[in-house]
Amino acid sequence: MANKPRVAIFDFTGCEGCELNKLNFENELLDILAHVDIVEWREAMDDRVDEYDIAFVEGSLSTPDCIERIHEVRRKCKVLVSLGSCATLGGINAMKNIQPIEEVREEGYGEDKYLFPTLPALPLSAVVKVDYEVRGCPMTQIEFLKLFTALVRGQEPVKPDYAVCVECKLKENECVYEKGMICLGPVTVAGCDAHCPSFGQYCTGCRGLVTDANIAGMEEILVKHGLSVDEARKRLQLYNVNQLEGVQR
Amino acid sequence: MKDLYFPVMAEITGVKQLSPMEKLFEITLPGGVDLEHDPGQFVELSLFGVGEAPFSVSSSPTRKGTFELGIRNVGMLTDVLHRMEAGEKVGIRGPFGSGFNVDDFKGKDVMIVAGGIGLVPVRSLINYVLDNRDDFGRLIILYGSKTDKDLLFTDELQQWTDDPKVEYHVTVDSGSDDWTGNTGVITTMIPGLDLDLENTKCVIVGPPIMYRFVLLSLNSKGMPEENIYMSLERRMKCGVGKCGHCQINSSYVCQDGPVYHYPDLADLQEAL
Amino acid sequence: MTRFLLTEDKVITFIEHLQKQKNVFAPHKRGTNSFAFEQVSDPASVMLDYTRTLHSVKKYFMPPREQLLSFSLTDNSFAEPTVDPVDAIFLGVHSYDLQAVFKLDHNFSEGNPEKNYLKRREGALFVGVTFAPDQWHFSGSVGINPNDADGFDVFLFAVENGYAVEAFTPAGESLLSGFEMSEFNSDIPAAADFNQHIYVPQGKLSEVFDNAWDNEVWEETSKECVGCGTCNMVCPTCYCFNVEDGVDVTATVGQRERHWDACMTRDFSEVAGGEVFREELAARQRHRVYRKFKYISDKTGQPWCVGCGRCTASCSAKISIVNIVNKLVQDHEQATVAPV
Ligand code: SF4
Ligand code: SF4
Ligand code: SF4
Ligand code: FES
Repeated sequence: MANKPRVAIFDFTGCEGCELNKLNFENELLDILAHVDIVEWREAMDDRVDEYDIAFVEGSLSTPDCIERIHEVRRKCKVLVSLGSCATLGGINAMKNIQPIEEVREEGYGEDKYLFPTLPALPLSAVVKVDYEVRGCPMTQIEFLKLFTALVRGQEPVKPDYAVCVECKLKENECVYEKGMICLGPVTVAGCDAHCPSFGQYCTGCRGLVTDANIAGMEEILVKHGLSVDEARKRLQLYNVNQLEGVQR
Repeated sequence: MKDLYFPVMAEITGVKQLSPMEKLFEITLPGGVDLEHDPGQFVELSLFGVGEAPFSVSSSPTRKGTFELGIRNVGMLTDVLHRMEAGEKVGIRGPFGSGFNVDDFKGKDVMIVAGGIGLVPVRSLINYVLDNRDDFGRLIILYGSKTDKDLLFTDELQQWTDDPKVEYHVTVDSGSDDWTGNTGVITTMIPGLDLDLENTKCVIVGPPIMYRFVLLSLNSKGMPEENIYMSLERRMKCGVGKCGHCQINSSYVCQDGPVYHYPDLADLQEAL
Repeated sequence: MTRFLLTEDKVITFIEHLQKQKNVFAPHKRGTNSFAFEQVSDPASVMLDYTRTLHSVKKYFMPPREQLLSFSLTDNSFAEPTVDPVDAIFLGVHSYDLQAVFKLDHNFSEGNPEKNYLKRREGALFVGVTFAPDQWHFSGSVGINPNDADGFDVFLFAVENGYAVEAFTPAGESLLSGFEMSEFNSDIPAAADFNQHIYVPQGKLSEVFDNAWDNEVWEETSKECVGCGTCNMVCPTCYCFNVEDGVDVTATVGQRERHWDACMTRDFSEVAGGEVFREELAARQRHRVYRKFKYISDKTGQPWCVGCGRCTASCSAKISIVNIVNKLVQDHEQATVAPV
């Protein structure tokens, strides 16, 4: 791209953790900004524009209004990138997809539940074409940087399709299973450099599942390590309910 | 000790659109030295910041000074490459692997069965035969393509059609309205051929799915297995027998292949 | 050769003596229940009595991540990285891990010798130590015993209250020279027994694997295996790798990096365009086990598994390579013995 790409950033139903996260890049942020023109950023700017090259969108879609807005973003941008678990997987928001919808409204809005129509929390890709994804909750910084650099250079980013365990082992971490924890690293897509296990935390699966993940096998591992079948299922569903229940991605 | 992983910086000296998805790149090594490859061998082409990928050499070693790579746009690296122009630099390592042993073919009839992009690697052999025409018997080329718009090297196809010393047969899975040639899968062209079976070397190159069907058809034709050769595709990453990505059972495609003598594949269950 | 007694209370001064000669790498505690090789800074933290380290010493000769070259995008040029010999003393290496190093030496010197590995490997000296087999070791089944000093420069045989120390090479002797020890004249006690075995009849390995291709064990294990690749990553004789380019955020410079790769993952055999040549988990498990017991073994006459037990110990599904091979042996015996 000869001219600086025009970039817009939007936020839907997420927790806004991702955008704040992005501001943490410090030095790298300056390098990034040198390569682009930020033309719309809900938290930082207010002048609305009509066209942009790259739209970064975070948050899942859970109201009819969201759906309308995402169609509009799609129309105005050339490249659409979803940021974080909510946008790429539906995120924790999607847990409500397996609870009766009335119950969810009750919890979320109390008395006012009938004023706010709510839909199952959907990943962007269930509604519009998404070109690239930055996974993770909050989104994985290193992956964002890689994608960003690739896009600025007019290239496709590399998408790993192997488990977090591979990256975890590259760092010679002690496996958290050794400490009696259970971990979803074996079926979760790498790319975070095994962030959580490197801090002695278990992987929650926030980056989504590897292609053709052996879910039955993973459940068995969890059960072998002390979870009930129901707990195992729930643990896997935390971020991946849409993928597991076959909601379109 | 030679470093296995350093490329030489070569120049793209020509780019030609072959079909909607394929381009032919002419590459010149520093000083115009020859690549010195055998037909069927491959090189690793690298673009810094993008990566490295294996490509079969598409030109015959008899054509000096430059070599050609016919490249389909299917991934990240090829996408960038397809946007490059003459004058730009790429890294080259190789040639790697085992190609066709052309001496085994001398004095014999040569039959080529090429499906889709499989024509790219085998073009090296075809042109080698054409450039040493008197060393070989008949040259029979069967070429199958998805549609007539996907046909590669169309000017060469025309030359083969016109050349009385080339028996060229082409078919497409589905032709457009102005297509007047054969329609149907490549195997439909085999039964009708009049072949001197004992004296014909047959080379198959195409998408993975094609091999089984062509082999069945050659088998019922009575083609002896020891006269069959094929070139296989795998994920060649290092090209030098180290990274393990290209393995078919115990065989490293980047070393023992990509060209295999069919009888040698009998022990390799993962091959076809 | 003379053996010397290194009493438990002298171990620290012994390590200090080694440190005066070269850098020393030895097992340390890692996390709650694990061990890892690290450069020794405090000899008191060295653990000579350990089960197995997370990675073997392979990581020093073929680092998990390694720069193959660095490049500049501004002028499309590249520069060679500097690769230096590790040139150090590896203290407290178990016999199976040294045998694994020799196997890698073979892999990196046959065919196209690889400079990076062979360069790093220069100057490495190995001081071995007896290990006590735990529930996962089975190296005895592939001919490697806890007191096997084969190939070591120096070996520390576990004896009561310390170690019987013996040098096996001139380099080993000079490591010991200048360190006061009394002679050790008793017998070395027999090493402890292994707790598991593979029962491959002598010389039959290849034959067993000739008949193992269609065994149901591949399909069975693939129900529990999730293809995480851990078993590859921890194996001291796995050496497959992937190569990727990384670009700095400034988009002007970058590096071509290789990192260990795992044939148990789906994308290991995927080519541009999406075709995956070992799509089924069963086929991947089979490939891994054939790599350890047949493919290279047919050419070298040796199993390429050293029986360290890491793959099983680290597998969250506890898939056991011992059980897999024993099942193959059993089925093979039945098939060859049973009347038709
Ligand atoms: S801690 Fe988690 S990611 Fe790391 S190796 Fe263990 S299971 Fe895999
Ligand atoms: S470590 Fe276990 S679960 Fe993971 S790939 Fe290996 S055998 Fe399968
Ligand atoms: S296959 Fe398993 S037991 Fe054998 S050497 Fe590798 S990690 Fe050790
Ligand atoms: S391509 Fe690396 S071993 Fe063949």
